[in-house]
Amino acid sequence: MFEISHETLVAFAKSWGLFYLMGFFLCVVAYAFWPSNRKRFDRAKTSILDREDKPWK
Amino acid sequence: MPELFHRKLERSAIGFVLAIIAAASVGGIVEIAPLFTIDETVEEAPDMRVYTPLELAGRNIYVREGCYACHSQMIRTLRDEVERYGPYSLAVESQFDRPMLWGSKRTGPDLARVGGKYSDFWHVAHLINPRDVVPESNMPAYAFLARTELRTSDLGQHLAAQQALGVPYTDEMIANAPRDAYGQAFPDSEAASGVTERYGEATSVSAFDGVATRLTEMDALVAYLQVLGRLTDAAFRDTAATEQAPDAED
Amino acid sequence: MIRQLTSSERQFAAAILLLAAGVGLAMAATGRHDPLGVHGVIVLLFSGTLLYPVLTGFYEPEPKEDREASYYDDPIKVGIVLTMAWAVFGMFMGVWVAAQLAWPDLAFDAAWSTFGRLRPTHTSGVIFGFGGNALIATSFHVVQRTSRARLAGQFSPWFVLFGFNLFCVLAVSGYLLGVTQSKEYAEAEWYADIWLVIVWVTYFVLFLRTIARRREPHIYVANWYFMAFIVVVAILHIVNNLAVPVSWGHAKSYTIWPGVQDAMVQWWYGHNAVAFFLTAGFLGMLYYYLPVRAQRPIFSYRLSILSFWGITFFYMWAGSHHLHYTALPHWVQTLGMTFSVMLLVPSWASAGNALLTLNGAWHRVRDDATLRFMMAAAVFYGLSTFEGSFMAIRPVNALSHYTDWTVGHVHAGALGWVALITFGSLYTLVPTLWNRERMYSARLVEVHFWLAIAGTLIYVFAMWNSGIIQGLMWRTYTEDGALAYSFVDSLVAMYPYYIARAFGGFLFLIGAVVCCYNIWMTVRSVPLAKRRERDVPAAVAVPGE
Repeated sequence: MFEISHETLVAFAKSWGLFYLMGFFLCVVAYAFWPSNRKRFDRAKTSILDREDKPWK
Repeated sequence: MPELFHRKLERSAIGFVLAIIAAASVGGIVEIAPLFTIDETVEEAPDMRVYTPLELAGRNIYVREGCYACHSQMIRTLRDEVERYGPYSLAVESQFDRPMLWGSKRTGPDLARVGGKYSDFWHVAHLINPRDVVPESNMPAYAFLARTELRTSDLGQHLAAQQALGVPYTDEMIANAPRDAYGQAFPDSEAASGVTERYGEATSVSAFDGVATRLTEMDALVAYLQVLGRLTDAAFRDTAATEQAPDAED
Repeated sequence: MIRQLTSSERQFAAAILLLAAGVGLAMAATGRHDPLGVHGVIVLLFSGTLLYPVLTGFYEPEPKEDREASYYDDPIKVGIVLTMAWAVFGMFMGVWVAAQLAWPDLAFDAAWSTFGRLRPTHTSGVIFGFGGNALIATSFHVVQRTSRARLAGQFSPWFVLFGFNLFCVLAVSGYLLGVTQSKEYAEAEWYADIWLVIVWVTYFVLFLRTIARRREPHIYVANWYFMAFIVVVAILHIVNNLAVPVSWGHAKSYTIWPGVQDAMVQWWYGHNAVAFFLTAGFLGMLYYYLPVRAQRPIFSYRLSILSFWGITFFYMWAGSHHLHYTALPHWVQTLGMTFSVMLLVPSWASAGNALLTLNGAWHRVRDDATLRFMMAAAVFYGLSTFEGSFMAIRPVNALSHYTDWTVGHVHAGALGWVALITFGSLYTLVPTLWNRERMYSARLVEVHFWLAIAGTLIYVFAMWNSGIIQGLMWRTYTEDGALAYSFVDSLVAMYPYYIARAFGGFLFLIGAVVCCYNIWMTVRSVPLAKRRERDVPAAVAVPGE
């Protein structure tokens, strides 16, 4: 059994939490602005307005 | 469900779910994980006792009636709160509280230190019809508590459940729970001495509802209200200076 | 409804209901000296009532058509009816408890009608009953339409819908009986909580499998929000409700979290219930029904992705702002405050995205009350998230906490955002679902809109006033440094606002009743829409790029 002290946990939460946040943010921005994703976003955006009311099957 | 993991589309849907969990759980983990070791930082209160069976039954009535919806039990570190209600609440004071009843709204006043502030008689009159005592009050009337017999037969089970969760009830306390509940509300009975033996001399033994013939829910609730803030005197010993409300005009 | 099920599905449904009835019977037996017994009887009656149509329709002819070629709309229709029933019940309870605060004698001399027991019937009734049913119904609709696929189950949608409503019934009847954990917005006891986990896992699997039936590689953003709602609510619910029952025959349980840990877990739950129950799911509605109603694509799809992850990430940290100046460690409070302020960015991005979608269609907003419902919802969403971030700042919270300001803030969100977007979505959904040309009366939608807006504004202004007055009175000192007002003084000052608040809530309730009538008349008497749209053969979806 190893002991985790309160200070260690707090320090971990305070430092790595921030890095996690920044890393996560960068990934999301990359995904949103990735050039090849543009086409599928535009499709998704407009496809819900189709008057179609049947499953594709 | 194994077929779920085969097709590419399904994999992307599951990957998406995992991303949601990754994003959402980390805040909780980072904030809450340190609280598992918080006992290292919580104040010491070696004098603190557990709730007696009668007080616990009263607390469960407080829970059952949803009193937390209008009364907080958490005095903040602000100067006006400390002057109005008493020393601010310490984490250690609710160490045995399941659930905690800190509350979020004060339609009525804070009750963290209401114990001993009023007489048993006042509490009974106030609970039966609050407007008899405080004409402006909008609190509901709890007259039915004085009419309802307290269920004591299962108090041992309640204490045992608490013991299983780590509250320091002894086996002797569990075995004597219904008897102690009775004894605490009947000062003249034989059972009364057992209560102070097991829970300490300072435990208040009294005919809380003023009627020494039957044990009612009123007895239990008043016993609980009278012990609020008095399980330990830690808050009166080592609290720091209060904080000024930032824009108080004085 | 039974006609849509094959005979093996009917057998399965009957078996599940018999099992549930058996569990009810067992609860009634082991809990006969406890409120648990009453709940056993309720479970028994509930499953018995549902068993009746299953058994009477048991030998009906089986469905012949290809069920996969059409959407599964029956559960959605029932879900809408349940949504409106809970709306009227929950809002009525709200008006009653609001009136009790102004006139405390508006109660019977009985335990069940005290404020403390009625108040959670209002909160659970509107949040879970009204909000939850609306979310389940609309999510079933949106996921099918955006995935171009039928729900991936014939029986499970019914299980989710009725199972969830059984949870609501157990919760609300429990409060009246005195069964509660006294954990705000998680009052239901252990057995109801376990049941909800089963229902929720079924919901999750159903939703995921339906999404997996789509042909496009991309999942439309509304489904993201619904998915986050389902997943995170499950996590929150399980962690917050971990408890040890006193015995198998007791309704009462003790939470495993003591004191300060319980406070943190409770408000981590409480705040994220607002985030993922009352925000994420309803944003899912917004991102589908608003563009559909306005007939314009969402302003920026990228922005909706960024704000989705922002909300999912930031909200989780913010719960501790409910515990400023308490016995919670200081750094946790500061962290909560920081993230609450940062939350404003994704929240306003969502609100702005919705409003910019309407840019260029303002004439339609002017003429179409349904669209105006959604626009007003986006505005209230923006306002109440701003207010929330503001109130999370420690010095502001010192004043606002424990006062009616908090109540006002919650209702700005609950009435102004959650309820308005729901009504807007329902007015869009009902004619489509029942294949009607339009709602029965556009004028009644208009009436509902103004009742809802007036009710919300009266409510929120009353609570702002009372909250700020209360907070200031508590901290006012006299010249000689003594507290100027007793607590009772501050209570007396509240009465006019409590009356105004009850009136505002009453207007809102009337609006919901008008909505019920309009939906009822739409289904009953509006002519069927021309079949034109439905007859178009399915276009083959482009399978990805």
